[in-house]
Amino acid sequence: MQQGHENKGRVPREDGDDDIIRILRLAQGANPPLGAAERLMARIAREPQLVTSVKATQRRDNWRLAALPLAASLLLGVYLGAQGRLDFILPAAITDGLAFSEDFPMDELGGMGEAEAVAGENLS
Amino acid sequence: MTRDASAFGEMTDAGLLMAAAGGASSAFAEIVSRHYQPVYRLAWRMAGDAATAEDLTQEAFIKLWRNPRQVRDAAALKGWLMRVVANAAIDRARRPSLATLEEGPEPVDPQARPDAPLARAEASRLVDAALAELPHRQRQALALVYFENMPNAEAADIMEVSIDALESLLARARRSLKDRLAGQWRMLLDGLTETGS
Repeated sequence: MQQGHENKGRVPREDGDDDIIRILRLAQGANPPLGAAERLMARIAREPQLVTSVKATQRRDNWRLAALPLAASLLLGVYLGAQGRLDFILPAAITDGLAFSEDFPMDELGGMGEAEAVAGENLS
Repeated sequence: MTRDASAFGEMTDAGLLMAAAGGASSAFAEIVSRHYQPVYRLAWRMAGDAATAEDLTQEAFIKLWRNPRQVRDAAALKGWLMRVVANAAIDRARRPSLATLEEGPEPVDPQARPDAPLARAEASRLVDAALAELPHRQRQALALVYFENMPNAEAADIMEVSIDALESLLARARRSLKDRLAGQWRMLLDGLTETGS
């Protein structure tokens, strides 16, 4: 028993508590058998550790596998969008905007008409 | 393992755990060197024999080696080991085993030499046998507080109970021990007086 008497202030005092502490001092001390720590370390040398990290090369391979379907999905979306096959599911604000632009001549949009008019006025 | 083993001697338990998690067996050897004895003493007190105590202690340290990151509070590593070994001892004691029955403490004969002061070895055997008969949790509480000299708060933390519950366990353990040794109580104390203990 290690310095049990110093524990008096930390455990509740009762009648006969000093006697209990004295009696407990009679209990055998237990020291590890000779070579116990060495036997433990010999077992440790044979025990594998739990692997919690993934090697960098494995991570790269995983990304490659995930990137392939993502790229294919993106290409399919671009193709279908370009063909206009998905217009029926797109918001009207997008598809109507394209139609609206066709109602106006190019010069109205680009300012070319104004430029020609100004040039004509200067000539006349 | 590139670091010199002596360098690990100056590291905290947290640093050693981190190094051990990286596979440094020298760091783990330092952990073993620091904590093997108290963990073994508790295992011995709980199990009652040296072979089982060594086995339980090995199990606790191997559990730590397999995954050092499982210790959340590295500063309380000793407490973690003590908890693991005590729980393992209780689990093992619940399993029926012929070996445990054969190697258990010898029964105490209360009529043996009723008047003579007890020899020290005999007195130790009586006290150890009485301790071995206590329920596991009471024995664990006594071992942590009286034999390992731990503060009540630390012992309660290891046992995962409140301080009040720990003190209740200690009180019951003391009463129970006194009841079990009632027949030899005076002789034991007289023996201590004669030997000046």
